[in-house]
Amino acid sequence: MKKTSSKPLKILGYMLLVNVLLVSTHLGEFWPFSIYPMFSQAGNPWTRAMITEISDEDSLTWETTSREALNGTPVSVKSLGVDQIDYSNFVSKTQNWTTSRLEALRYMIGEEHIQDRNFVIFKVNGRLSESDSVVIEYTPQFLFAADTTILNPYLNFNSSVVK
Amino acid sequence: MRVLDSIKNNLFQPDKELEGAHYIFFKIFELFVASQAIYLMWYWGLYTLRISDVVLPLGLANYVDISFMHANNLPLWNAGIFSALVGFAFFRVGNKWLYGIAFLLLHFQYVARFSIGEIPHSANLIGFSILCIATGLIFFEAPDKRYKFILGSIIFFAGLGYTSAAISKLIGTGINWVDGRHLWLWIGEKGTDILSREGAWSPNFLQSLALKSIPIATIILMIGLLSEFFGFLLWFRKTRMFIVTALIGMHIGITLSMNIRFDAFVAELILIGYAWPFVIKKLWPEKSAYGKKLTRFI
Repeated sequence: MKKTSSKPLKILGYMLLVNVLLVSTHLGEFWPFSIYPMFSQAGNPWTRAMITEISDEDSLTWETTSREALNGTPVSVKSLGVDQIDYSNFVSKTQNWTTSRLEALRYMIGEEHIQDRNFVIFKVNGRLSESDSVVIEYTPQFLFAADTTILNPYLNFNSSVVK
Repeated sequence: MRVLDSIKNNLFQPDKELEGAHYIFFKIFELFVASQAIYLMWYWGLYTLRISDVVLPLGLANYVDISFMHANNLPLWNAGIFSALVGFAFFRVGNKWLYGIAFLLLHFQYVARFSIGEIPHSANLIGFSILCIATGLIFFEAPDKRYKFILGSIIFFAGLGYTSAAISKLIGTGINWVDGRHLWLWIGEKGTDILSREGAWSPNFLQSLALKSIPIATIILMIGLLSEFFGFLLWFRKTRMFIVTALIGMHIGITLSMNIRFDAFVAELILIGYAWPFVIKKLWPEKSAYGKKLTRFI
């Protein structure tokens, strides 16, 4: 078999080198270069997010609950024009809920959707239990209404009523 | 060294005489990549209009404040310029750097769109393809050399990506990664995503089966891990067709068990994994010869 000229291999080698340098200095991700670390940490607890709609603010309870006892009706974030993964990451990865971060979340959901509806923002936590089952818990974080944002009073936020 | 020689001979096929069918296939492949990239640019661009905050800077956004792409129409201008550049580049009108510039614009669109926490990988192969086409056009002039480098390098990075994903799992968790209970946890996570996205979710047949039995869930994960690990077999012509079939099966399994779709990724795997020039030549032996006339567009 004839040997290939070295030029394609050299160029590929340089691309590979750039790939290795970029992913090794940027936590495995420098698009489109990646070490594809998704799902590499198996068995870890996870946190996602969802929205429910309640008829009025008074019907809201702030306790952590199960899906069966969920407060309100689940809202399809797709119907709001929001990407679920974005929404979920925004809620679950934000450590410090500043006023601007809360405003950004309302902006993402769309103020027009909150004008005549009461949305409860939930964090959802999943983990494996010792009895070999998956436990999923729903914790209300905020209530978004037309002109109000209320934070769960039982959680450790820096402020109580932001808006 | 024999392994290295084998890899480069398999990837770049220096002894292969290209025929018209190869060039027809190449332009179909390039059309797929270009149209997917244009679609992503507009899709991401339109969504970026809704973003007003940076949660997680990615790529060049680590060095450039990407918020300049937010709260204005720049993502749409970016998509428009990208579409025009790729359109010209597809017909080889203009400078050979057009795809290179387009790649940079694509990167900026990605990091602007995904600055709020998500790091999706479904578009990575399209991104690599634009990069490899750009590199091939810049460094090679002869159509056959461009063809061989572009397809060879894309196949190389596709194989590397899968094997790298498997190694990440083995490093991150170990061989215990295949424990079926891990799949239960992911089904719960992805089920929650569907519940949030659609407002309702209940497990499908495969998910129900996995949730009922740890051994079944373990076998599903084991098949997935093995398919990924052997992704490097894409580099070899004799094994390419078999491993690409296993990888497509794995993606179908991921879609059914975890509701994660990699449509463009799978479509591109189908294009690069099978001997389409051979099929084109067999189906249209006379017409495929006209493909030689496409060399000025390679």
